[in-house]
Amino acid sequence: MRSVQGFGRHKLLIFRILLILSFAGLISRFAYVQLIESERYTRESEKNRIRPITLEPPRGIIRDRYREILVDNLPAYSVFAIPRELTRRDTVFAALAKIINRQPASLEKIFRRDRRGPFQRVKIARHIGFQALAHIEENKLELPGIVYGVDPRRYYPAGVRAPHLFGYLGEIDEKKLAQMREHGYERGDVIGKTGIEYIYESVLRGKKGFRFVEVDALGREVTVLSGLGEKPAVPGKELHLAIDAELQRHLERIMEDKRGGAVLINTDNGEIIALASKPDYDPEIFTKPISSKVWNALRDNPDKPLYDRMVRSHVEPGSTYKLVLAIAALEEGIIDGSETVYCPGAYRLGRRVFKCWKKGGHGTVNLLQAIEGSCNVYFYRLIQKVGLENWVKYSRKFNFGKTTGSDLYSEFPGLVPDAAYFDRKYGKGKWSKGLLLNLSVGQGDLLVTPLQMATFAMYIANRGLGFRPHVRKRIVDPVTGDEEYAIPDTVRIEGISERTWDIIHKGMFNVVNAPGGTAKGANPGRVHVAGKTGTAQNPHGEDHAWFIGFVPYEQPQIAFCVFVENGGSGGGVAAPIIRSVLRLLLRQNKILIPQTVVAEE
Amino acid sequence: MLWDKQDRLKPDLAIIIAVAVLLVYGLMAVYSATQSANPIIQNNFGKQFIWMLVGIIVASTIMLIPFKFFYDQAYLFYAVAIFLLILVLIIGGGTGVKRWFYIGPLRLQPSEFAKLATLFALAKYASGQQRDMNNLRDLAIAFLIVLVPTLLIIKEPDLGTALVIMAIVLPVLFWAGLSLFTVFVLLAPLIVMVSAFTFTSFFIAMVTITAVMILSGRGPRVIIPNFLLNIFVGIMTPMLWGNLHAYQRSRILTFLGIEKDPQGLGYQVLQSKVAIGSGGLWGKGWTEGTQTQLRFLPEQHTDFIFSVVGEEFGLFGVIVILLAFLVILWRALNIAADSKNAFAGLVVVGSVVILAFHVLVNSGMTVGVMPVTGLPMPFLSYGGSAMLTNMVIIGLILNAGIRKFNYV
Repeated sequence: MRSVQGFGRHKLLIFRILLILSFAGLISRFAYVQLIESERYTRESEKNRIRPITLEPPRGIIRDRYREILVDNLPAYSVFAIPRELTRRDTVFAALAKIINRQPASLEKIFRRDRRGPFQRVKIARHIGFQALAHIEENKLELPGIVYGVDPRRYYPAGVRAPHLFGYLGEIDEKKLAQMREHGYERGDVIGKTGIEYIYESVLRGKKGFRFVEVDALGREVTVLSGLGEKPAVPGKELHLAIDAELQRHLERIMEDKRGGAVLINTDNGEIIALASKPDYDPEIFTKPISSKVWNALRDNPDKPLYDRMVRSHVEPGSTYKLVLAIAALEEGIIDGSETVYCPGAYRLGRRVFKCWKKGGHGTVNLLQAIEGSCNVYFYRLIQKVGLENWVKYSRKFNFGKTTGSDLYSEFPGLVPDAAYFDRKYGKGKWSKGLLLNLSVGQGDLLVTPLQMATFAMYIANRGLGFRPHVRKRIVDPVTGDEEYAIPDTVRIEGISERTWDIIHKGMFNVVNAPGGTAKGANPGRVHVAGKTGTAQNPHGEDHAWFIGFVPYEQPQIAFCVFVENGGSGGGVAAPIIRSVLRLLLRQNKILIPQTVVAEE
Repeated sequence: MLWDKQDRLKPDLAIIIAVAVLLVYGLMAVYSATQSANPIIQNNFGKQFIWMLVGIIVASTIMLIPFKFFYDQAYLFYAVAIFLLILVLIIGGGTGVKRWFYIGPLRLQPSEFAKLATLFALAKYASGQQRDMNNLRDLAIAFLIVLVPTLLIIKEPDLGTALVIMAIVLPVLFWAGLSLFTVFVLLAPLIVMVSAFTFTSFFIAMVTITAVMILSGRGPRVIIPNFLLNIFVGIMTPMLWGNLHAYQRSRILTFLGIEKDPQGLGYQVLQSKVAIGSGGLWGKGWTEGTQTQLRFLPEQHTDFIFSVVGEEFGLFGVIVILLAFLVILWRALNIAADSKNAFAGLVVVGSVVILAFHVLVNSGMTVGVMPVTGLPMPFLSYGGSAMLTNMVIIGLILNAGIRKFNYV
């Protein structure tokens, strides 16, 4: 490299002169525009009264499988403040607070929190009453900078409550806003918080549009301007659920005084056609600003109405789970079903006595009879032959211990305890066989959700073929009328022989149809129901009642699960609910009666 | 070793402070320009902030690399740049233009890299031991080095960046020893070309040019051919212009940024002037500018970010920013003049030209004295590539400042 010796300073001088000249020229130009011409441009800028206005898309409505509207939009009004025009904030907020019955301080707080630039409307109160609206309109002149706008709310015209299924809407919070900003969400926007409003937010929401309006000196809209690149809002899509509204209403009615829930699944595709969790609450509550009194009452209610029992109940399945053990024993070749066991009404293991639910005992029973009469002693003995490892293997095979992957909000996975779990809980090797005996009858540390049990019933009904349970039936574009269906995800339970299915089906048939069956009360007539009852003991009160199964026996179309907390016995409480539901479906010819049954009649 | 013993890690504090001032103003302006209202533009503040942090790291890293490295690799960089410029014309993306490579979420602009690579190559060539810039052959090669990437960038098309690269040539070569007279001779036909459209301006230009040439004391063997050449250019320009189709003329004018309103550029500049003018001496206050907040400003977070500054921070803000730039450029020129390493000096001079060109053209555009070319304002405009390039430039200037007493 060459170095520069005796660098010619004149070059630096030339560069400096050019630099000074150009910057001086530039600054004088700016000074001219900003000082001498400032007045003229200020007038110009004041004439620029074109404001962009966001157009909110109407949220997609929700219908049932026969297109009856379940969730619709109702016009409601919200109050906005425009910072730029809000010159006397204190007095205006004081007057407004009186009209809409809020605290001026809370309005001030919301305003400060959500203010974004001088022209962004700040939503300071949602869903005000018509009375208040009329007052604001009357006192418009005393309320400069305050405007109101339509801000629709949800309402539920079908008389279907299902608040856990639908979920509710609310204003987007800061954390969510940070994630969703790039999807066009802004402060004050409404977003699905729970339920399908949450799960299908992207479908229901639609797309915001905007247009330009000219405003007067007070910021009121004068004319809508076209040709400046306006973009209409794209309405949210309609979501059609697989729910049958009539069936749902009926189910909700007969479950009204119960604590628990029921779910019915179409075995052809996994569609959830009815789904109730009781007690619940009126979904309308969350469409309006909720008072802390109402909220506290809901939250502190000992019956826990906010809690979705279908997907969040972690409970022991009781005897319904004997089916898993039976399948494991048959498939592992431990029994062939013909072996008999004598049930004296109790079983002694070491110093502990494990009772059968039937005091006098079942006498001598084979597998079919043990399922039909739900004999505990038979299964106490059986699990000792099958072993924990096989029991866990088949529990996992049927996808217990993980969520069903449904499109319901916040499903719990349940729990299948294995040796590692017991080692952790009780210490390695410190747990006894007694735990195993509890598991054999669906008690102990095993936890399932009612939705999992209904899905299990579907696997059995279809002899291993299942579908991911779902409430979505179709998505309809309200503008074009295009309908979009999803192919249901199949879940296949492999490696279970037809013979095993035959035995299980037969056993379940007997539960409802044989003289000694535990669920004779489920029989609606005209079709054969197959099922299994469960009565899970519960240290906190009455037993939990279970009933799972499918119908018709010969050609399954519907799988079901009923669960009643502290209800008593499965046969006595849960089975009649199914009978009532099936009778409605039969009356409406919604169950196809298999030819063989028709012939019998 | 990253640096020799006699180097003390003493980067030019004035430059660092000035850059910091610009970055703070830039972030504030980007925040204001993107915060509200229109659902189309989302908040880019966070992204810009991250780019700024990355840029600071890049500048610090560049500062520590011995200048010899850039000297040694200059031609390699240049070759890579040419390769990328050709590649982008083949597989590049963009709507109607081929300027970018899309790599995942990133959008890379090879012309940004080419800008610096060309500067390195030119500086290396001009600082070579045997070179004499007043020798026609050496001069031609130096021009060729710049011409190749310039043409490739024009093809993309990205006129702004092409103009920046062309602007480097004369200042760098002048610094490397090209005589002032030759600079004048090279500029004369351009002046003639622009003035040739009316007889009066053509006449004045010719008289001035001839007078300067005679006063320079050069003999008729230099003056006469030059005189004839300029006359020829002056006559041919309007003739050729007249032979062009209207659409070709319009294309060239748009290309040069002279024609008003091909896509509403006049409207843009007017709104920008309204914004700046209504800002007055002290501005309307941060996030309180009506033009900005109501989005009358076009491209307000990128090309027209300076209008946001003018509206919300007033003439005061404008002067602070322009003075900050002046400080950087001034100090950089001192570094170039003090530098014992000719290559480093030339790189710094080129860097000064690049920055100054962006600042003058961009801010001039916002008040209607420069054409709308789409050149961003360094450190202020939203955009990652530009931020990185400018930070590299600052790193190079500081680097040369630290090592100005080094010969290699």
